[in-house]
Amino acid sequence: MIAFLPTLAEPEHFSLAEKLLIVALAIASAYGFWRRFGVVLHKILQSKKDPGFHLFPIGKRVWDFFWEVLCQAKVVRERPLPGLAHAFVFWGFCAFALVTLNHFAVGLGIGFLSPTGFFGQFYSYFAAAFAFTCALGILALFVRRFLVRPKWLGEKLSWESGFIALLIFALMATYLAAFFVADNSTAARVLWWTHSLSILIFLPLIPHTKHLHLVLSPATIFLSRGSFAQIPALAGDEDFGLVVGTDLTQLVSLQVYSCVECGRCTEHCPAANTGKLLNPKEIILGVRAYLNDLGPSSDQPLLGKYNSQEAVFQCTTCGACEFQCPVGIEHVPIIVGLRRGAVNTGTWEDDHGGKLFLALERGSNALGLSPAERDKFIAKQELPIFDGTQEYCLWLGCMGGYDPKGREIVSDFARVMNHLGTSYGVLRKEKCTGDPVRRLGNDLVFQQLAEANLEALAQNKVKKIVSICPHCVRTIQEDWKEYGTPPEIEHHSEFLARYASQLQPAMSGEKIVYHDPCYLGRYRNVYDEPRAVAALAGELVEAPRNRERSFCCGAGGGLAFLGEETGERVSHNRAAELVATGATTVAAACPFCNTMFRDALAATGEGAPQLLDIAQIAARSLPTAKPEPTAQLAVESKVPESESPLTRPPGAHCSYSGVIHTTALSHDAIETIQKAADASGLSVEIGNNYIEFDFEGRDSNQFVVEFLRTLAHAVETASGEFRCEVQVEKEDPLFEFFSIREGRLIRQRAVIVREKEEDITAGESSA
Amino acid sequence: MSGVLVVIEDRAGKISRISWEAVAAGQKLATALGLSLSAALIGSQTESLAAETSTKFSGKVIRVEHPLLAHYTADGFTIALHQLIQSESPAYVVFPHTYQVRDYAPALAARLNEVLISDVVAIAEEPAFTRQLLQGRLSGNYRHTGSGPCLVSVQAGAFRADAAAAGSAEVTVFTPTIDAAQIRTKPSEPFRGSSQTVDLGSAQLIVSVGRGIKEAENIPLVQDLATALGAELAASRPICDNGWLPMERQVGSSGQSVAPKLYLAVGISGAIQHLVGMKASQCVVAINKDPDAPIFEIADYGIVGDLFEVVPALTEAIKAAKG
Amino acid sequence: MKIIVAIKQVPDRDAQVRIDAAGKWIEETDLQYALNESDAYALEEALQLKEKHGGEVVVVSAGPERVGQTIREALAKGADRGIHIEAEDLGQRDALGVARLLAAAVKPESPDLVLTGLQSEDLGLGQTGVIVAELLGLPHATLILHVEKTDAGLTVKRELEEGWFQTIELPTPAVLTIQSGGNKLRYATLMGIKRAKMKEVRRVTAAELAVDGAAVVQLERVSLPQKQKSTQILSGTPKEAAAALVEKLKFEVRVL
Repeated sequence: MIAFLPTLAEPEHFSLAEKLLIVALAIASAYGFWRRFGVVLHKILQSKKDPGFHLFPIGKRVWDFFWEVLCQAKVVRERPLPGLAHAFVFWGFCAFALVTLNHFAVGLGIGFLSPTGFFGQFYSYFAAAFAFTCALGILALFVRRFLVRPKWLGEKLSWESGFIALLIFALMATYLAAFFVADNSTAARVLWWTHSLSILIFLPLIPHTKHLHLVLSPATIFLSRGSFAQIPALAGDEDFGLVVGTDLTQLVSLQVYSCVECGRCTEHCPAANTGKLLNPKEIILGVRAYLNDLGPSSDQPLLGKYNSQEAVFQCTTCGACEFQCPVGIEHVPIIVGLRRGAVNTGTWEDDHGGKLFLALERGSNALGLSPAERDKFIAKQELPIFDGTQEYCLWLGCMGGYDPKGREIVSDFARVMNHLGTSYGVLRKEKCTGDPVRRLGNDLVFQQLAEANLEALAQNKVKKIVSICPHCVRTIQEDWKEYGTPPEIEHHSEFLARYASQLQPAMSGEKIVYHDPCYLGRYRNVYDEPRAVAALAGELVEAPRNRERSFCCGAGGGLAFLGEETGERVSHNRAAELVATGATTVAAACPFCNTMFRDALAATGEGAPQLLDIAQIAARSLPTAKPEPTAQLAVESKVPESESPLTRPPGAHCSYSGVIHTTALSHDAIETIQKAADASGLSVEIGNNYIEFDFEGRDSNQFVVEFLRTLAHAVETASGEFRCEVQVEKEDPLFEFFSIREGRLIRQRAVIVREKEEDITAGESSA
Repeated sequence: MSGVLVVIEDRAGKISRISWEAVAAGQKLATALGLSLSAALIGSQTESLAAETSTKFSGKVIRVEHPLLAHYTADGFTIALHQLIQSESPAYVVFPHTYQVRDYAPALAARLNEVLISDVVAIAEEPAFTRQLLQGRLSGNYRHTGSGPCLVSVQAGAFRADAAAAGSAEVTVFTPTIDAAQIRTKPSEPFRGSSQTVDLGSAQLIVSVGRGIKEAENIPLVQDLATALGAELAASRPICDNGWLPMERQVGSSGQSVAPKLYLAVGISGAIQHLVGMKASQCVVAINKDPDAPIFEIADYGIVGDLFEVVPALTEAIKAAKG
Repeated sequence: MKIIVAIKQVPDRDAQVRIDAAGKWIEETDLQYALNESDAYALEEALQLKEKHGGEVVVVSAGPERVGQTIREALAKGADRGIHIEAEDLGQRDALGVARLLAAAVKPESPDLVLTGLQSEDLGLGQTGVIVAELLGLPHATLILHVEKTDAGLTVKRELEEGWFQTIELPTPAVLTIQSGGNKLRYATLMGIKRAKMKEVRRVTAAELAVDGAAVVQLERVSLPQKQKSTQILSGTPKEAAAALVEKLKFEVRVL
């Protein structure tokens, strides 16, 4: 074809002896492969069938296969450079399919892809290009593993990986070299045999090493459970989770045999990153070692020699491991399965865990408090009771009903809903959704809670739920399905985002860092809605580990209810990261994250950023007066903008300053003023009989004037005034003077009046 | 059957205060029903006890003496009192509601085909006896309808000990017939709890300090209060995290759960993690400068003020009260 | 060792207290019930003894149909068998009457040890175990935190007032009433509940037990106590507030 370009050398005239040798070696190699692969396949097929596994709908499976296997999307996206190197190695293998077939055909004298023919030559260059990138890729990965040595690949050097890398390199090198030798030269022969031996040695090695993933992982990804962190239902009276070998299912076995030991799971694990025993990769490999040693019919416990119970109970179920895995291993159901095996059979002994289970066996909430506490809160906040006629049921949850911070979030969210005129109510009685016991593996208590709650919701005719807690949302929507049909539910960030345009920006000058909760982000794919609400408070900055890579706060998996952590506290690790962004506000969307960060942020020292839930941010933009629960709130009357040329240009930069003198202020008055100042983000100095403050910035929505109105009401009468200098572009500034008389806020506008210009270069003129 | 018999309990050779309260209760019954009053002392050497009793009591004092009654056993006391009751035939028998009485009086009552009306907080006309039900959430009125004596035990603090009228008393000795083989249990000498440095779980009085204390140097202020009260010192989590007090003193969801008679929270806001550790306390007192602090929701008594002023004042007042 | 544990089903601790129409007890519709707390500790002690020394743990409880649920829970936690004394009129019986039912049911079993909780959360009499001991003619001890089996019988740890303890030696068979807090309670497990379905619960009616009936003590009337729990804020100067608090500590809380 293109004469001057080199062509691939194809040795000819293989002797009969050589051909027999080729066949013999090929058979031996295939046998070596099957000897081990057959065993693995057998173990996988011998495992228990997965109840509740459905092949259909098949669309998502086909897409995942295309995108993650063929396009190597996750492999590249989550670790770009090594991922790209791997992708080239993979694509090289794919491209080589025909090449390899033809290679052996040539050895047997029946080659079909002549390198001089049109298609053959094109294909050989096509394969050569991939061989080149593949060789580069494998070289880069070799350097990474043996010279750079990232800790996620493990402490010990893997000589088997090195050898395989060598083989792959040899394959590509021999192929490329064959372009530069003559067809019938000895060199070509040598290259041919080297290439063949490389393949024939590689093949049986595959099932003995982690390269088993070559064969298994496409199937693993295709046969996933169907949704993220999905905990399978227990089947029958004898199923207590993963207790012994016979409990391992086909999916679990397939997945652990697919592990490629890349360590991406461990790299993102909050427990592994804070000095705990838990290492997700080791959990998977532990199960694999069990299968290798004992097989799927063994009655030896899974926890003990092969995996430690302590490690398994350090998991927050954040899902970072499962999210990162490029070969489709679903860690969360495996870890929860192991926990179930320990808890459902009573072999897990833990003081705090036992207390949690006993509290929920008898009571209604995970904190062991009397439901009367929740009733008192509802009464105090005058929350409307759900009676079947309202649109939404506001689900408080254990944190929203009993935790002081959780209650603040609920109160603020209720204020926003009142302002928006939403029709909602809260249930008279709630039981815990069961999230902590579900993740800890106590199916007895979980079933009791789920069934009781489903019945109560049906009786109360609840159709739609909105909740402030991502754990409640997840458990209600997904986990309760095992016992009935839950109503629709959404998280309050999804609700608020729809109305973001109706909520006005509350503060300026703040830098906000939003922390993605695990159960809202990775579990529910909600990343933008809470950001839309958080942005109301100022300028959004992002933490280094954000969105799908968000680092857990440490409360999930029931861990908020267990005792002290070993090693560094997960919440402190994350808090330090959030503070390092330089943000002045940390925005949260989960009451558990909120509780974990409250202490962790305080521990970072003076000047720690304030912590607000997005509901609190949204509520700040509302007028401070307490609105009626069911009535539509009338639009707050604003000072009508006059047509005067002294009217402030919108969004103008304002400079407030001044001090007013008052009679001795009562404790209540001081409180009110302080609260209003805090709510507006103003720094106000309140003395016994004076008040001083200053502020520079965009008085968005005239919030400072609002504060002054509150001040006027609290102070009644004062002498002195506050001055506001309003910058006007290209002109003299405007002024506004504020004084307080008899509880009323009086404003006087003023403008600079310039006199004629005088030339005083020589001195003051006499006039 | 007639007369009111009060069973007096002694501890380490001294008559316990609750026994005097039982005497006061017995007296009330006797006066209301126009019955005579007598008191029983049980032991192997009750002479000095009888002497003490007769100075503050008007009525018959019966010394129930037997060598096998030297140390308390359920069998010994039940047999002895059973015989005494058969001999004296009282219409009413009044006990102080102590651990000891709970151990033998129900058996004694059953032997008489009666039922002890236990832990009575008030005695009304007829007579009707008031008890607390459902852990104090309900009050119940009981009446005795049997034909034998009515046995009643009275709760500590329900009747005032100083209400017992003094006077002279007639002292007699009653010797029951007890065989050693009838005493089936062998009790040891009492001993103190295990030698843990801090056992918050069994402490009856706890003073707990929180973030309001601001600095480690200020903790002795609260320690003084605890010492004056005779209470154990505990803390909320941030105090222990800072190392100002050892972890074993932490009360809360990740520390200890306590249920003392009195829990005095100083400078503690009442975050949920702390509340779950002490919500079972019988009486909660809170001192905090923030009137909206959640701790006040569950407190029985509260002082809204600056702890640096209130705590020293309280320490002084307690020292004065204890004399 | 054959251990019998007498357990009681009581209204939930957080139940709303409303007086019923007759004024003699609380309204029972909508009430949740649970195992009495100190009985749970008695059951735990029994299960631990069985784990150590082998044998059988039998739970016995008296009451209406709903009591069966609590017996099943006890079986789920590890008891081997249950006995349900069917009685609709427990409220009419006094402590002696109830103890007679229990003693009659327990006697034919010839147990080595009978455990009960220290007192019930509803009536709080704390007498049933002691009366059962008297009726069966067995030695007993109360407020027990820990039980050890010895060659001669049992050595038990008893709680005394004000932080003191004592050990008592007694022969078996015996009756013990168990104080809360001596052990860590085990939680109910799925496996336990499934296995409980196959365990025997023998039913016997109160009539079959043929015990004496008439009560000698009667609960005539119940009422809500005057004092409702509310926070009393003591105001004034620090000195005044401190003095007021000391008064309360002395006379109401009674710790001074």
